[in-house]
Amino acid sequence: MPRPESKMINFTIDGREVSAPEGAMLVDAAKHGDVEIPVFCYEPKLGQPVGACRMCLVEIEGIPKLQTGCSTPVRDGMVVYTETERVKVAQQSVVEFLLINHPLDCPVCDKGGECPLQDITFGWGGGISRFIEPKRHFVKPLELSPLIAIDRERCILCYRCVRFSQEISEDYQLVLLERGAHSYVSTFDGHPYVAPFSGNIVELCPVGALTSRPYRFRARPWDIEGAGSVCTLCPAQCNVTITVRDERALRVLARQNDEVDDGWLCDKGRFAYQSFHAEERITEPLIRDGGQLRPVTWERALEQAAGALKRAGANAAAIAGGQSTGEEGHLLARLMREGLGSPHLDSRRAGTLSLDAHRALGAPALQANVSDLEFAHAVLVLDTDPVNDASILDLRLRKGIRRRGLKLAVASPGPSSLDPSAALSIRFKPGAGAAFAAALSAALGASAELETLCGEAGVESAAVRELAELLRGPEPQQGADSELQPREVVILWGERLTAAPNAELGAGALLGIAEALDLANVEGAGMLEVPATANGRGLREAGVLPNAGPGLSQLQDAGRDSAAIAEGLAAGELSALYLLQCDPLRELADRALWERALAGASTVIAHASFLTDAINEHADVVFPAEAYPEKEGTLVHPDGRLQRLRPAIARPGSVRAGWHVIAELALRLGLDFDVLSGAMASRQLFEAVPFYSGLTLEEIGGRGVRWQEREAAAAFPAPASAPSGDGSFEEPADPGEAAGYRSVWDAPEVEHSPAFDFLFKTKELV
Amino acid sequence: MAAPAASPMLLFTDIDEPGLCTLEVYERRGGYESLRKALAMTPEEVLDQLKASGLRGRGGAGFAMGTKVSFLPKGSMDKYLVCNADESEPGTFKDRELMQKTPHMLIEGIVIASYAAGANCSFIYIRGEYVEQADALDAALHEAREAGYVGEDILGSGHSLSLVVHRGAGAYICGEETGLLDSLEGKRGNPRLKPPFPANQGLYQGPTLINNVETLSTVPAIIRISGEEYAKLGVETSTGTKLVSVSGHVQRPGNYEIELGIPSREIIYGLAGGPPEGRKVKCWFPGGSSSPVLTADDLDIPYDFNSLAAAKSMLGSGAVIVVDDSTPILDVALKVAKFYRHESCGKCTPCREGTNWTVKMLERIASGEATPMDLEIMASVQEHIIGNCLCVLGDAMAMPIGSMIAKFRDEFEEHIEAARMARGLNGSAGSDAALAAQGAFDEAPETHLAHHGTGDQAPGAHEGAPGTHRGGA
Ligand SMILES: Cc1cc2nc3c(=O)[nH]c(=O)nc-3n(C[C@H](O)[C@H](O)[C@H](O)COP(=O)(O)O)c2cc1C
Ligand code: SF4
Ligand code: SF4
Ligand code: FES
Repeated sequence: MPRPESKMINFTIDGREVSAPEGAMLVDAAKHGDVEIPVFCYEPKLGQPVGACRMCLVEIEGIPKLQTGCSTPVRDGMVVYTETERVKVAQQSVVEFLLINHPLDCPVCDKGGECPLQDITFGWGGGISRFIEPKRHFVKPLELSPLIAIDRERCILCYRCVRFSQEISEDYQLVLLERGAHSYVSTFDGHPYVAPFSGNIVELCPVGALTSRPYRFRARPWDIEGAGSVCTLCPAQCNVTITVRDERALRVLARQNDEVDDGWLCDKGRFAYQSFHAEERITEPLIRDGGQLRPVTWERALEQAAGALKRAGANAAAIAGGQSTGEEGHLLARLMREGLGSPHLDSRRAGTLSLDAHRALGAPALQANVSDLEFAHAVLVLDTDPVNDASILDLRLRKGIRRRGLKLAVASPGPSSLDPSAALSIRFKPGAGAAFAAALSAALGASAELETLCGEAGVESAAVRELAELLRGPEPQQGADSELQPREVVILWGERLTAAPNAELGAGALLGIAEALDLANVEGAGMLEVPATANGRGLREAGVLPNAGPGLSQLQDAGRDSAAIAEGLAAGELSALYLLQCDPLRELADRALWERALAGASTVIAHASFLTDAINEHADVVFPAEAYPEKEGTLVHPDGRLQRLRPAIARPGSVRAGWHVIAELALRLGLDFDVLSGAMASRQLFEAVPFYSGLTLEEIGGRGVRWQEREAAAAFPAPASAPSGDGSFEEPADPGEAAGYRSVWDAPEVEHSPAFDFLFKTKELV
Repeated sequence: MAAPAASPMLLFTDIDEPGLCTLEVYERRGGYESLRKALAMTPEEVLDQLKASGLRGRGGAGFAMGTKVSFLPKGSMDKYLVCNADESEPGTFKDRELMQKTPHMLIEGIVIASYAAGANCSFIYIRGEYVEQADALDAALHEAREAGYVGEDILGSGHSLSLVVHRGAGAYICGEETGLLDSLEGKRGNPRLKPPFPANQGLYQGPTLINNVETLSTVPAIIRISGEEYAKLGVETSTGTKLVSVSGHVQRPGNYEIELGIPSREIIYGLAGGPPEGRKVKCWFPGGSSSPVLTADDLDIPYDFNSLAAAKSMLGSGAVIVVDDSTPILDVALKVAKFYRHESCGKCTPCREGTNWTVKMLERIASGEATPMDLEIMASVQEHIIGNCLCVLGDAMAMPIGSMIAKFRDEFEEHIEAARMARGLNGSAGSDAALAAQGAFDEAPETHLAHHGTGDQAPGAHEGAPGTHRGGA
């Protein structure tokens, strides 16, 4: 779909010639001339302006009435005034109207000091009040939800929160009840506003009407600092600003990056910061002693771990979890391969994918980015559930449908929250994603195998054909416009599609679909994988795979993948297991196998933040892991964007940086990584991965860089031969388990944030 | 007293004919002949007739109907026609009589207009309280469908039209055209930002023609006598006849069909019989309660769109409300302000807050707690509302209230003084009342709150203990 182009035009504002993008709303265009027009209800993130607050009135030559600057597009030659007497009177009167029923309880209001109503009153208000009547009263504050308090007296009825619920998250819960001066924001029957993205309304509210209950009364704006970071609680990797007071995180706010998150956060990302400071967090090294984990010095823990690893040697194995940075992954891989001579290393959830498949699927030309999801003609959500797997992408798809005419198709084993918005939803058998993808590939290629594959996937072939047609789009008309736009299709697929035992079938099918739809050659088309873990892509690129070195390089000898590691441990063929921020019982496929594996391991060494099952019962040495705002390093977004983590808060107790701990272990194994700082670890990673070559942390900066857009991308390795995808579908032993769908709330960070207690306790919510 | 004007009748010709609401009688009276005639013309020719007639919208804004139809984009997209039958402006009850007594005329008008506009899908949005009228429309619609005047391929013309009678839930704001559209779409009835105008993006984002009941009911007559003949009625900028609803202090309240441009006096005194014996006209609303009031001095103004606009008021919906000298102006102002406060949708700031504030000030005048300075504030609040709202409901209160303050300032001041005397606040410092109302200075904060707690009711009172502060986890 064509993306908006901006042509510059000239207009006059307050006597000055200014150029601005054509069609920009006056309030935005004015900024090009350093003129600020005050706004309350205008928020471009929410879509079309509503013109409710009337704060932005301006005078336009040739139009008798004052106009709302938030909804009037600038035109060439327009003459606008924002400082005339008429405009001033209007601005002052709107401020006066807004304040007459406002409680003016700024001294006890969380918003005080960062409040648009305060700022605009100061900047554009009349400075006096003529209102002496009794004010409007509401019972306050009330729980809008367990996470959000509402003070209806402070509400200026700007509609932002309601528009968010109705038009952005589409949970359709918030409404305005009553009319006129009695209007108030509520859910229609007063039930708590619980929804995956509810917290965004706190940030949208221009006054202190909506406040975060975990943050209420915790700080004033002059007590706090903001520190930019990236949320690592799911692969969406939203950009955040951590509100820091006394080195502790008190709040998480969106740090708008349109290429990543559009300025939204999910509630997990917004409220699970409490877990960073939870009592249950592991903050010291632990060693199992008489069956109990007991705190010890770093020296002892490192010695013990190094000793165990040395004994295990090539029989050691390691798994990196998705919150590990690329740097940590890279150093871990070096530790295993160079320090212990062990190739047994993985970061994927279930099963090996051939190196050729990794390379073919990762090919730069095939990679879609986040905004492609919005502007595509059609998107297929394939074996992933965005709201749970990479939450913020759910909102991006809704935006595409609502504002850009995107056609969405969903193919998944279970119901999806996107179904009501989808043009087509197809359900296949749990665990049969690869068969379904193969069926779609067959339908697109008119292959005879279609019926067989549909049988295996448990779908009607007619539905698959309909999907193929939807993706292909309407036939170009005979003799129609020769410059017909090529069809932009994006396949958003879940990593589980390339899980054992059908990894190659799934990968081959994806490549077949890409081929049939010409995804590699159409600008704006492509594939976007949702990895099973936050930094899944980064870890793979760093070489945390059994069959690939850094930059997906060929290895002499392949090692065992996670499933084979488990089997090896259970069978006594492997002895030590190194877990870098990964609890196999929670995160990896086949829990029963992993129970046996952990029981069979002679030593389990873990970097962990919480005593989750595997750690609590099986770890012999525990290194306290950093929470993401304590980390220094990089992540790779599913679309190839390298993003940077910078320490925002202090590490609690004696927590040490992950890279540091691995480097210390390596030293004890006789290997000097020559890494003395996080930046040095990053440099090593960038040097090791050819297609990152020349990258610096500065270049990544606060917005990130997609490596595919840099010159070094040419160094991405081509597959030796394209995976054929031939082979037949094999029913997984436990199809539901194999699919590995998990709720957005299934995370230790959520369990250890008191704000989320309501999710786990059965109790009256209000 | 002037003799009643002998107006030509177009809408009310046979209005009291028994059974006119049935198809049989309506057809016997020539009903649906205009439709046949129109369908024999091209849509463009029908549109030309509408343009030539000069017919201006009868719902309030007085926009030329033909021009509005021509704003609809050409092309094959879904287009809609919506008849505004919300008739909620105080004093207005003309659409009610039309729908009740001659529903087929409206249906015929809708079908002709839809043909000219190229719309294939139409709705009549009728206010919920008009139960009898909605039933009459439903019955007539049933007959019209059976007879092939509504539905597929009407009278073999190739033109098709679906028509649905939709009952509103009783909100004035749903008469505002974009609020109506939102309500019709199943949403809260709030006005939308314009542009885009309904002609381009209306119902379900499609091009939509919205007209008042009376406007559409006039269409068959225009086709019958031709646009040119119609335009000969009335005066140049206000052609044709108009239904006026006369109410208030008159001896013969009711609906009258007049030729536009007759002296207003003829309506109030001639047709409606003027105020009861011994009373005089104090003021009158020429076009519903949202029109600025005129006084007895203005009775000779010709009753047409432009003359009333020149007198700084408006013809509006054609509802003439007469107030005689037995009624204090404050009562009139309070009644009007309370209505608009109650009906403000609350979407935009000046209207939501300004209507509420105005009522509170007027109530203070009534209770003797006001000073003449409050009149200044009240006048300035009206000025701050006018022209600054999202729709014109805010103006609909501010214009008449502003006009009352301007024209009856002395009476307001006398009222303030008298009420203060009655309260025993005469002569003392003017700010006593203000300070008392503010509850400032000498009251403890608790009593301060309790005092204010008598304000508006608190919705959600059931939801928790008042003032419970919850600090979060
Ligand atoms: C607050 C408000 C209420 C209105 N109520 C009505 C109404 O009840 N009936 C009506 O026909 N027009 C009403 N209007 C006018 C409509 O917005 C619109 O102008 C009219 O329906 C157009 O039809 P017309 O051109 O045939 O007059 C109202 C306007 C406003 C601002
Ligand atoms: S609660 Fe806040 S965001 Fe919602 S309408 Fe009120 S002021 Fe606006
Ligand atoms: S003027 Fe009044 S009724 Fe109209 S949009 Fe504003 S608040 Fe609603
Ligand atoms: S910012 Fe323009 S009306 Fe609210």
